[in-house]
Amino acid sequence: MINEGRITREFVAHGRVDDCPVIDTHAHFGPYQAIYFPRHRPERVLHTMDACNVRWLIISGHAALVDTVRGNREVAEVVAAHPDRIRGYWVVNPNYPEQTARALDGFEAEQTTVGQTSTVPAFVGFKFHPNGHAVPLTDDRYVPALEYADARGLPVLSHTWAGKGMSSYAEVAAIAERFPNVRFLMGHAGYGDWVDSAKVARDHEHVYLELTAAYSVRGSLEIMIEHAGSEKILFGTDHPWFDPRYGIGCILSAYMTDEDRRNILYRNAQRLFGLPLE
Amino acid sequence: MDWFDCNCWYGVPKSPPLAPADTVEVLGSELQRAGIVRALVRNAAIWEESPEVGNRLTSDDCAGDERLVPAWGILPPHTGELGDVSEFLAAMRAAGVRALWAYPAKHRYVLNTTTMGGLLEELQDRGIQLFLARRELPGAMEVYELADRLLADFPRLQLVATAHGSWGEDRLFRPLMARYPHFAVDTSRYELDGGIEAICRAYGPERLLFGTNFPETPMGGPMLTLLHAEISDEDRALIAGRNLRRMLEEVRL
Repeated sequence: MINEGRITREFVAHGRVDDCPVIDTHAHFGPYQAIYFPRHRPERVLHTMDACNVRWLIISGHAALVDTVRGNREVAEVVAAHPDRIRGYWVVNPNYPEQTARALDGFEAEQTTVGQTSTVPAFVGFKFHPNGHAVPLTDDRYVPALEYADARGLPVLSHTWAGKGMSSYAEVAAIAERFPNVRFLMGHAGYGDWVDSAKVARDHEHVYLELTAAYSVRGSLEIMIEHAGSEKILFGTDHPWFDPRYGIGCILSAYMTDEDRRNILYRNAQRLFGLPLE
Repeated sequence: MDWFDCNCWYGVPKSPPLAPADTVEVLGSELQRAGIVRALVRNAAIWEESPEVGNRLTSDDCAGDERLVPAWGILPPHTGELGDVSEFLAAMRAAGVRALWAYPAKHRYVLNTTTMGGLLEELQDRGIQLFLARRELPGAMEVYELADRLLADFPRLQLVATAHGSWGEDRLFRPLMARYPHFAVDTSRYELDGGIEAICRAYGPERLLFGTNFPETPMGGPMLTLLHAEISDEDRALIAGRNLRRMLEEVRL
């Protein structure tokens, strides 16, 4: 295995590095379309987190992508059960705009401190999935949630993917211009439109590239670092879809410094979400 | 760990990957960096032009580098580019080639006994591995249906599906593992948390071969996943390289 730098050597030797924790900013919970997930139950999730020193996992409910009322409530229960390891994104489904106002009320109600180690509330921000919901990111039905997030400077994680018209860098740029206080995480880093997506992150202080699945395309990380800098990149895995070791291994393979790896694996997310690492 | 990569390539395809490996030297350099001691290698010309061209390039480029084990492409024998079946096997023997790839969609043939004119019988009887890229056909269903039809006719064929989709294909390849004792998949895109452990428990470590899918995929992902999978060190060593090494050694040419 690659033998460059202490972080790489220790991940190879131990599967974790004590002084390089990981914050997984893009994970899920529960079954989805009957895909086989051996480790989607919380106790198994925590097992994997401990093995890799994943200090925090930020999840949205798979169920919430379908039924936001039930799914967001389930995530609240998971966070309440594991307040010192897990936080949630509140899913907004634009196909049910009449529910959005109630959803924002529900989000507001969850803004209480949970756990002993953090003052960060149970839900850190919103999750959008334009492709899954077949509603372009620039559609007006997202606006109430974006206005809410903009007024409070909240993070929004959105699925982003190549191909203009739905969730590409172009839609992200339009949203970023309109809502300058939303801290926008481009889930999958605009998969496929690597350079243009990285430039959107470079040109907007409040836009970040999130790595789920993107790390498995050799060369993508180097492009992101060249155009946006490692300070704008966040680690994520879509867990339980993907083993964090796979994503970490891809980062170890990429041509970058250990400082870049620390930025990506925990420093940027720690700064963005305010989650403690001790 | 004695890493033996079953799935990597180099060359100049018409649509290059994001970070290409145009030459075998680039591939060799990255293998060395990753600590992979052997690799089953093929040139992109095998699928982009023809095995008639790509097989020769692969063997020429691998000559003299004991880390690189050449793999060839197959074609149906009726049009003669690679000779008849016995001539093709003789060429494999002369070149030290012990593993093959099929590209039936790109090369426009039906991968079955009618088309292959006795070659599949020979591969089965001689223990020669046949690799099939998951993306060779447009949909996941089609690839596994093809594998099922092929293995129904040749149940002892050592068929390996490579670089399967990472978005949940266990329900597609597990039935083949259950039914056919020599069907395997590579680990290059097996990113599922707990997947390697579950396959080892259900079907044994012989059904997994370490692969990287280089240059499309970084080598470190599948390596770190296998290194710290919760399986025995013996099973880990089998998947990392011993399975492939044994299979190649057992080929009867």
